[in-house]
Amino acid sequence: MRRYIVGRLAQLLFVVFGVTIATFSLLHLVPGNPARTLLGAKATAREVIVLTREWGLNKPLPVQYWDYLTRLVHGNLGTSVYYQSPVNSLIAHALPVTLAMLGIGALFGVCFAVPLALLAATREGRITDHVIRAVPLVGLGMPPFWVGLVLLVVFALAIRIFPAGGYGAGFGGHLDSLVLPGLTISAVTTPILVRSMRASLVEALNSEFIAAARAKGLSATRVLFRHALRNTLIPTVSVLAVNLGYLLGGTVVIENVFGLPGIGNLMLTGILNRDFDVVQSVTLMYAVVVVFINLAADLAYASLDPRVVLGR
Amino acid sequence: MRTHVHMKLVSAALAALILTGGLAVGASASRMPGQHLKGHATPVRGGNLVIDIETPQQNFDVNQTSDNESIWTYDQIAQTLYINAPDGKTLKPCLATSYSISANKLRWTFQLRRGVRFSTGMPMTSRDVAFSIDQALNPNSVWAFVDSSIKSVTASGPYAVVIVTKHPWAPLLADLALFANAVVPYNFGGKTRAEFFQHPIGTGPFELSQWVKGQSLTLTRNPYYWVTGQPYLNSVTYVPVSNSSTRMIQLEGGKADVIEGAPFSLLSSIKGAGYELGVFSSTRIDYVTMNELQKPLANVDVRRAISYAVDTAAIMKAVFFGYGTPANSPLMPNVNFYSLDPALITYNLAKAKQELAKSPYPHGGFTIDFIAGSGDPVQTSVSQIVQAELAKLNIQVKIELMDPSEVTQQEQSFHFGMRETYWTMDIVDPDEWVSFGFDGEAGSYSNFTHYNNAQVDGLVTEAEQTFSTSKRAALYAEIDKLVAANAPMVWLGYSPYSYAYSPNVHGFFVYPEGNAHLENVWMSK
Repeated sequence: MRRYIVGRLAQLLFVVFGVTIATFSLLHLVPGNPARTLLGAKATAREVIVLTREWGLNKPLPVQYWDYLTRLVHGNLGTSVYYQSPVNSLIAHALPVTLAMLGIGALFGVCFAVPLALLAATREGRITDHVIRAVPLVGLGMPPFWVGLVLLVVFALAIRIFPAGGYGAGFGGHLDSLVLPGLTISAVTTPILVRSMRASLVEALNSEFIAAARAKGLSATRVLFRHALRNTLIPTVSVLAVNLGYLLGGTVVIENVFGLPGIGNLMLTGILNRDFDVVQSVTLMYAVVVVFINLAADLAYASLDPRVVLGR
Repeated sequence: MRTHVHMKLVSAALAALILTGGLAVGASASRMPGQHLKGHATPVRGGNLVIDIETPQQNFDVNQTSDNESIWTYDQIAQTLYINAPDGKTLKPCLATSYSISANKLRWTFQLRRGVRFSTGMPMTSRDVAFSIDQALNPNSVWAFVDSSIKSVTASGPYAVVIVTKHPWAPLLADLALFANAVVPYNFGGKTRAEFFQHPIGTGPFELSQWVKGQSLTLTRNPYYWVTGQPYLNSVTYVPVSNSSTRMIQLEGGKADVIEGAPFSLLSSIKGAGYELGVFSSTRIDYVTMNELQKPLANVDVRRAISYAVDTAAIMKAVFFGYGTPANSPLMPNVNFYSLDPALITYNLAKAKQELAKSPYPHGGFTIDFIAGSGDPVQTSVSQIVQAELAKLNIQVKIELMDPSEVTQQEQSFHFGMRETYWTMDIVDPDEWVSFGFDGEAGSYSNFTHYNNAQVDGLVTEAEQTFSTSKRAALYAEIDKLVAANAPMVWLGYSPYSYAYSPNVHGFFVYPEGNAHLENVWMSK
């Protein structure tokens, strides 16, 4: 197991290297100069040139890339030219917001999906099953920014039980602020989870080992939870992991609607202002987080299914 | 970019939804400069004001920043010798109390206000003032063009400062009111420049208390502020919220007391009580520049034809939802020496055709690249309207949507035919705009159009060096007339700043240059 984790972490190095090359080249290939963006419309060419030189952006690209890698190896993600601030500290403030939001969203997704899938699978082919399979799809079909705004209007303005966006203050405040964004995320994750869990549950419930369990005289609840559900968790975990990775890239929309100062907002401001170090670092962060989510999913696999042995 | 599209969609589609959610912004009349809100009784001390702003403050380094959020926040922290008055046209003494000028009009002596302290408690003296203006003279500063007339600045005794100009310079007082000339402690209080502007210190009503970049910025009362009793507020917190619908929801939900950039699309549909609507007259002028390095646009008849063909009134109505007014001068009404310009070209398709007939391209038949920021609703709308209107002259407009950062780059390297943009004033003297926008000798190539008219250049210099107000007014009228006739830009129009705020916020007023004097703001219970 340990060897497996070490191996996967070693692969991470290659991923990181690949991502640095890709983002660095993409960013520098498209036109746009951060000095020009910072100085704005009232600046003339002369001032732009001076600042470009001051920031070292006039150096040949391979030299700039090498400087970037050297900094990275030392744990320095560079400096945001937009904010004149170390990228490390910007990310340190923004990343927890996004991760907490995703975590709460995933939790809500699972909390909604498990009972719904159980209900649907045990009533396979009946009206409850059809309703459960159809209704959440509406959530999936609505764009997240729309869902977010509707939730805000309903739960922050009409019935004032949650704050109208923002990140709040203190742990309780943060948690309170993340409920509606979490629900918005779950609108996307729940339908996917329900469908995949239901399908696996139906398959499990019709399989021989369940028939054997029933024949042993086990109670229906025990059969359902202990034997069927446990088996369905494996595909569910991978579906959730894939979707969380996908959602990570889509958080910018949800953060925008809720006014959350997360990594998506940081990334968008970075891209719009050609804040090279910010965009490079956030992309890298995305890659690393996605790799870790997948690793966590694989580890969860092993603990859920004794047949899965990692590292062979 | 997707987000911008989303925001636009949301503003339009969700208006009704937000209304049913209970948001009601009281539609009060648009406020002209100088017309302050009527205060309720006496101001109350205390309160923590939360302002939702559109984009985060980015950088306070006065040599680099051109970001309005940073400038307007910096205005609360640091002050200048003279400041703009609420009418946007006149000046008031601030850290200076008076000045005298030598007979040859080159040497200005300023008497400083006594008893002024920085927010650290250190008294402000002439040494601080001389240092502050001197650091702003850096030729690589983005604002160097405003201070270009200043030759030297020296302290003369503890409470007098002498400024010597290179030539007689009428706009000097207005130039000194630029935020970049605000007074900071001598030698940045011993810090490096970079360190200092991470946490700037000044004599203003507020001091910087906490700044989590991109997330929030909090100012607290400067305990040493020199105006007795002010400011009233204990603190001001700026929270960047880029989505305009979310800002409206935050105001309604009590998360924000003031919101910047209340969407014009919603203002007219929202009638009723509950919230104050702040539509403040600004110095914004929108226009379409034409690159005179490109052949058809180098011809004045072609440019005039294009100007005649663009229905500016329709554009202002479409883009600013009835809150904009079509331009009637290359200057904006809230700047000194503005006057209605009879030579300004206004929409007339028949005349457009006549003008084009006089040009080497009597039947059109050429293509112009119109570059626009892909997420910018104003630029994209204007480009599409201009495209439709120029088609009537058989001029084909090819719209190239690109990232906003790229638009500026293409503009400044002259890889474009036309583009839409706007200007807002930072000082009360028209010289800032006129020298940047129309003076071909200035480094800005007449606002990146390469418009060159030696007569205009001469008049701009003359206006800078003339002290008689009536003579200057005549000179600017002459400049306006020439520029209007040469049509280097299609002048679209003027638009206000739009804010909405809670009814318990009093004294909130935005100056035409865009800053609000928050020392006058107070909150009732």
